[in-house]
Amino acid sequence: MFEFTSFRQHADNQFSQNVPEDIDMNEDDEDFLETGGLKLTWPGESLTSAQDYMRGHGTYVDNEEVIASVCGLVERVNKLITVRAVRTRYNPEVGDLVVGRITEVQPRRWKVDGNSRQDAVLMLSSVNLPGGVQRRKLESDELQMRSFFEEGDLLVAEVQAFFGDGTMSLHTRSLSYGKLRNGQLVTVPPILVRRLKSHFISLPCGVDLILGLNGYIWVSKHVKENEREGEEAFDAEAVYSNQNDDIDDSTRMAISRVTNLITILASHSIPLTDTILLDAYDWSLEYEGDVKDLLQGDAGDALVATILAKG
Amino acid sequence: MASSSISKAEKSYIQAGLLANPPRRADGRSLHDFRAISLETGVAPLSNGSARLRIGGNPHDGSGGTDILAAVKLEVESIQGDALDGGRIACNVSCSPSAYSHLSSGALEDLQYDLTMVLHQTLSHPSLHPKNLGIIPRKKSWLLNLDLLITADAGNIYDALFLAARAALWDTKVPRTRSVEYKSPKTLSSASGDMDIDQDTTSGFDTRNVAHATDFELPDYWDEGEILEGRERWPAAITLNLVNTVHFLDATLHEEASCASRLLVVHSYESPTSPTVQSIRLLGSDELSIPHLKNLIKEAESYTKAMVTSLTAKLEDENFRRNQKARERFGKRK
Repeated sequence: MFEFTSFRQHADNQFSQNVPEDIDMNEDDEDFLETGGLKLTWPGESLTSAQDYMRGHGTYVDNEEVIASVCGLVERVNKLITVRAVRTRYNPEVGDLVVGRITEVQPRRWKVDGNSRQDAVLMLSSVNLPGGVQRRKLESDELQMRSFFEEGDLLVAEVQAFFGDGTMSLHTRSLSYGKLRNGQLVTVPPILVRRLKSHFISLPCGVDLILGLNGYIWVSKHVKENEREGEEAFDAEAVYSNQNDDIDDSTRMAISRVTNLITILASHSIPLTDTILLDAYDWSLEYEGDVKDLLQGDAGDALVATILAKG
Repeated sequence: MASSSISKAEKSYIQAGLLANPPRRADGRSLHDFRAISLETGVAPLSNGSARLRIGGNPHDGSGGTDILAAVKLEVESIQGDALDGGRIACNVSCSPSAYSHLSSGALEDLQYDLTMVLHQTLSHPSLHPKNLGIIPRKKSWLLNLDLLITADAGNIYDALFLAARAALWDTKVPRTRSVEYKSPKTLSSASGDMDIDQDTTSGFDTRNVAHATDFELPDYWDEGEILEGRERWPAAITLNLVNTVHFLDATLHEEASCASRLLVVHSYESPTSPTVQSIRLLGSDELSIPHLKNLIKEAESYTKAMVTSLTAKLEDENFRRNQKARERFGKRK
């Protein structure tokens, strides 16, 4: 019942294995100043003189020198030096699909945690209101905001615009957006979710996926196209419902399986696409062992080796 | 920003899964499965005993688990007045702000205080007190500082804290000490030659057995010493998460948020067969009937027993591994 293991010992050469050979780790050369040069840096490393270059994101100036403040790749545009961090929070762009969680209900707006640097804002005017899609908001809507979304609720939305301070503003004015139910959330580093043609993925195992570009992924029971709520007329009851459908055992298993697979792929830094997820799912069906065993021992390594071989 | 609140839909999804037949959990575990626990002792060279523990980290990169560092530091303390003889134990739990990024600093302090109190009250109980923490009776003793740092929290923090504390205390070595006495020098009076003076004879009527030791010295290097007396007594804790009539173990954060109450039971195993209950705590808002509670405590006993058995085996493994590593390093040096 209780399984005690040791911490995985990292081989000394592991780091250098993962780095492409053409990256020069030598501190002194300034190859990155040439166009197309690649250089990895780490916090506190002096990059160049502040007199010749300007500091950009991820750097600061101390003692007439530009110094990196994050770990990542050095980039140069003309005289501007920036460091693109290896691991960052989500950088939103207009039109991105994100999954978020309500953290606060405020006058005429919700605050949404979107894995970004600041909490996002969802205005009351940018959600679908009951009784007609194109309807002006009324005072009564303001008073019953919690009946639409309350603290802790998960939703899928699109980035609509930015405010002056860089906060993103979301909207759910489409029938495919709105409150999430019938499933569970899994979080991955945002960089692993690429921009795809569609972020709504249906796997043939009866599981729907919503790949939020902010790294929040919603794994849920498949809902048939024609049974999706509000197809003909907008049905507020169904859209803002907190009630789950009945979920049978095999669907629950499939949801857990997909969740575990996503966790494994994310820990190996493999970008998520529908084809990779499908391959992984097929592999896991052949894998002898339970769903929970996927997260144990070497199962993940074996999976990734197979995926990469197919590559 | 990991927020600990979850939506009603998530909550009911988790609860329905736990109550389903067969029960299903988010990562495919059954109700009484633990996530894998990684453990290493001797991680802090400057401490007298230390351990690092992680519950449920990803086997590849170790992300997404509950991560705890525990270290024991012994400190010499002068006993003043009528203070207790034979040493003290002081536990302290600190939470790294990065582990609880959604909490304000005030809330974080409250949480630290709560965890510290649970741990301190249980571990510093007289029934668990090791006997070799005294140095000089009524003068000097060791103060055992047990510090735990939570660097990441992915649920089941109480079990993890107690496991880490047990591992660090198991690893602790108390430096050997030798008392030093001061005696008045005899040479002064004997220098006066043939004068026949009674000197330095102890009276045969003096039956007091007064310890004259005023100070002590360390005969060994700092890192050598003897293990804490009674280290198999250190307790193990199990949290039973309660949903309706079922209970499950090792909850993740989301699962913790979706069950109304939790029962923490701490057992100490002086002899492998008869555990003593060291502490019981009911966390949460639900009420519990006495017969149900009795059943749960009985069940908890079997869990802590299995936990203590496998933890002890792992700690002995660790000891062996470290000895071997030390020998290898010594062999290389030649």
